[in-house]
Amino acid sequence: MSLKSKIIVSILCIFIGFMIAIQFQTTSSSKQRETRDLWEVRAQLQEEQQQQQLLYQQLDKLEVVLEEYQDQSEQEQVAALQNSIQELKKKAGLVEKTSDGVKITIDGIFIDSPYAQEYPTVSPELLNRLLNELNTYGAKDIAIENERIVTTSPIRYVNGETYVNNHALPDLPIEVYVLSDNPQRLMDYMEVSQSKDDFSIENMSMQFTLIEEMTLPAYQERINFDLVEVNEETGEE
Amino acid sequence: MWLPAIFLIIGISLGLLTDFTVPDQYSQYLSIAVLAALDTLFGGIRAHLDQTFDQKIFLSGFFFNIGLAVLLAFLGVKLGIDLYLAAVFAFGVRLFQNIAIIRRHLFQKRKSKK
Repeated sequence: MSLKSKIIVSILCIFIGFMIAIQFQTTSSSKQRETRDLWEVRAQLQEEQQQQQLLYQQLDKLEVVLEEYQDQSEQEQVAALQNSIQELKKKAGLVEKTSDGVKITIDGIFIDSPYAQEYPTVSPELLNRLLNELNTYGAKDIAIENERIVTTSPIRYVNGETYVNNHALPDLPIEVYVLSDNPQRLMDYMEVSQSKDDFSIENMSMQFTLIEEMTLPAYQERINFDLVEVNEETGEE
Repeated sequence: MWLPAIFLIIGISLGLLTDFTVPDQYSQYLSIAVLAALDTLFGGIRAHLDQTFDQKIFLSGFFFNIGLAVLLAFLGVKLGIDLYLAAVFAFGVRLFQNIAIIRRHLFQKRKSKK
């Protein structure tokens, strides 16, 4: 091979190498591009920091419980255990709970009007939306009439009636009790909420009243754990 | 024979150093061009071993093959047929053939040296 053709082949080799490298980079760097601006990144960071704070607090609490278990006499250990059970029951909604909250009264509008087509009823979809919205705005515990809402509470439509926790809801007016750490804020949010509009469309109004020291009833039925399994990876249920 | 290899490495490192990427919709064209270039390169090596290396054929083949492959891919996109597969198939088969012949040549060289 003459020197000239060697040089030509070499130059083409540079080309080929360059192309291969670029192709390699293109395929390996086709991850999602970072398009957030500084403020969004900052907000994300803050969110993560809050999350971290929350986790630390939880960890602290659990460590205190662990210590209680470890360096106490048997009797005290039993007491600590009882305490934990009570705490968990409270969390699950199996005991009564008293705190500040908001009472939501759902009533019909235009009932006395001669043009009213039918007496309004609360549909399960509306209730579900309402509960979702309440939870979004910081509700801790919710009861609809006398039915405490827990994680597994069913809201169903049966034979033309709405059932909550397998008990039929009475006719309007219906009262929903909501406990929250900041009831005023929750109330303000709910005053301008989508659910209020949705209920209005169905000819129902919502009134909100702040109540101090409101007691929610306990969840009456047994929570079914038959299908609940412990997640081996995280240790959570 | 070492010169092209060294230049190839230089080219790869240059490409990696420049941090240059191709937009996603064109990466297909680039990949087919890379395949065509590799095919030409191995064809050149084989021709060299066969002692039929012609600089003009090599050079024109390099650009012509790349151009044709990219054109086929482009046409395929426009027609809605995966025409680039034709190029991939042709170049792929030729790559294997060329490499097989190069391998045989190298074995023969070794045999004759012994």
